[in-house]
Amino acid sequence: MHRLTSLRWILAFYTALFIIFLYGPFVVMAILSFQQGPEGGPQFPIIEWSTFWYKHVLGFAPPSRIAPLPIGEALTRSLTLAFATMVVSTLLGTLTAQAFRTRFKGSGVVFYLVVLGMMVPGVLLGLGMALVADQFGIQRTWWGTAFVLHVVYTYPFAFLVMLAIFNRFDRSIEEASWALGVPPGRTFRKVTFPMIFPGVLSAMLFALTLSYDEFPRTLFTGGNQVTMPIAIYGTFAVEIHPNLFAFGVLTTLFSFALLVVYGTLMSLSIRRARARVSGIQEDVT
Amino acid sequence: MMELRGLSKSYDGRSAIADLSLRVEDDEYLTLLGPSGSGKTTLLRLVAGLDLPEHGRISLNGQDITALPTYRRGLGFVQQNYALFPHMSVADNIAFGLRNRVESPVSDEQEVERRVAAMMDLVGLQGLGNRMVGQISGGQKQRVSLARTLITEPKVCLLDEPLGALDANLRERMTVELRNIRQSLGVTFFHVTGNESEALAMGDRMIVLDEGRAIQVAPPDEIFDRPATVRVAKFVNSYNILEGGVTDGVFVCGDLRLPVPDGGADTRYIAVRYDTPSFEAEGTDGAAGQAGLTATFLTSEFMGSRVVYFFRSEAGTVFEVERHLSRSDPETFTGGDRKRLGWPVSETLFFDGNGDRLVVTHARGAA
Repeated sequence: MHRLTSLRWILAFYTALFIIFLYGPFVVMAILSFQQGPEGGPQFPIIEWSTFWYKHVLGFAPPSRIAPLPIGEALTRSLTLAFATMVVSTLLGTLTAQAFRTRFKGSGVVFYLVVLGMMVPGVLLGLGMALVADQFGIQRTWWGTAFVLHVVYTYPFAFLVMLAIFNRFDRSIEEASWALGVPPGRTFRKVTFPMIFPGVLSAMLFALTLSYDEFPRTLFTGGNQVTMPIAIYGTFAVEIHPNLFAFGVLTTLFSFALLVVYGTLMSLSIRRARARVSGIQEDVT
Repeated sequence: MMELRGLSKSYDGRSAIADLSLRVEDDEYLTLLGPSGSGKTTLLRLVAGLDLPEHGRISLNGQDITALPTYRRGLGFVQQNYALFPHMSVADNIAFGLRNRVESPVSDEQEVERRVAAMMDLVGLQGLGNRMVGQISGGQKQRVSLARTLITEPKVCLLDEPLGALDANLRERMTVELRNIRQSLGVTFFHVTGNESEALAMGDRMIVLDEGRAIQVAPPDEIFDRPATVRVAKFVNSYNILEGGVTDGVFVCGDLRLPVPDGGADTRYIAVRYDTPSFEAEGTDGAAGQAGLTATFLTSEFMGSRVVYFFRSEAGTVFEVERHLSRSDPETFTGGDRKRLGWPVSETLFFDGNGDRLVVTHARGAA
């Protein structure tokens, strides 16, 4: 019993440490984002609590010597790129995983070829792509060369997620649909896809987030119209101001808001399904 | 009428179905009994078009369907694990085939609803249409799976161990219901099972499958009373099988000597049904036409309406005797008791070295 409690203390300590390391940086960043501006810098102590840096990010602050973050266009670019990457990678990943459900000749080689895309170091891949593009006279753009590399990078993730999903998928359910006279294409739309949809969602989320904050590949292949991570990196070169932290807090809040909406929708649909069942039971009794 | 001719299929060089031919008549309940590994699932998959045979043809009402994809065959397939669509309600599961099939789909929603309601009445799912399939019991899932298939009016309905996952109580009820449902629709059921009592109880005709071959096709009572081979006798699980050989007109099996009738000179196996032996005092010599052996009592098992006694015979094998309590009161033995078990020779079966049943003639007036 004594040993059990000491083990419990160790585990509690370990968990606390884990949480501190996980959320500590964000908490510090959040606190510093309320630093007084424009003189206050990204360090303690807090001179005075203010929302100056938030106004600065959103463009409401009076003009000062600190340049506004160059995020407007970069943000649009990053979101567009991430969205396009998400669609293409998820589509490719799902189709490839579907192909892997039957053991075809050379499937082992194909598997490693696909997975290679996430194994090769990003810097090498980016540099290589830049060289190839120059060699062939292709202009380096965020929607061209960088987009291709983003897909090469995120497609294996989507593929692996979908492979795991299909691994657990009960093939006999599709066979049941065929036996009812429903052809394979329609079976995929009506039976397979609705069942793998949660997996498709996670594959999409993977591809979206990986592409959104992708750095090394984009750095070399994105051309002079930069994406969000490159733009933020660019501001480091001069001087770091708490407006970066304010921006970080805002994007994090935005992600949380999305998750809350998603969670609410899920629990609502579950509650509706339950209500439907209990309604039936009342009818019967 | 469905006809299978010379079907063969092997996996990795191992033969699963070997030169199997079979006729399935219209409006009959056909059961197929096969132990696990006998190829019964393979056979169903070939018929359903989920696998392609290496040789042979399948025809349905004169049309060759061997190469037709599953969704064009017009056969129903009720899977062992039910394979319901988990994201749909019970009613949507049942209506799925009608709405989505490629041949003559039903687009009139009122028609679909009417037919779904009628089918739910038939299989006993009244009032459950709006439930999700995760919220119903195993027996109800079985009914949904059946209803979903039957509503598409298949020419032949394949059932893969449909009662396997149900508890005993439910299984007995479904046995009766399956027969009734089949009769009211006039559709052919091709029911595959590894359970001998299920196969015997349900079929109008019965097939015994062994190592990819149909070794006997006959009505269940014939299969039970006169198994064609010693393997069939084993599968129906109601015979003591003694293995030995005939020397000097007597069957020898270990220390055991048993008389052999005319035509039984090639006997290799003798099968004694569990319910034929009667208990006699030790040392009793059988009358003419009687056979018997002396055995040591091991244990007994009370099964409700009957008692099963286990003995060790002189041949060293376990010998089972079954007594129905409606015919006689149970007898109590203690372990180690020696008993003589006697039976009329005319009620035993004789098989030759290939396992085929021998036609024997018994001396008249012997029993």
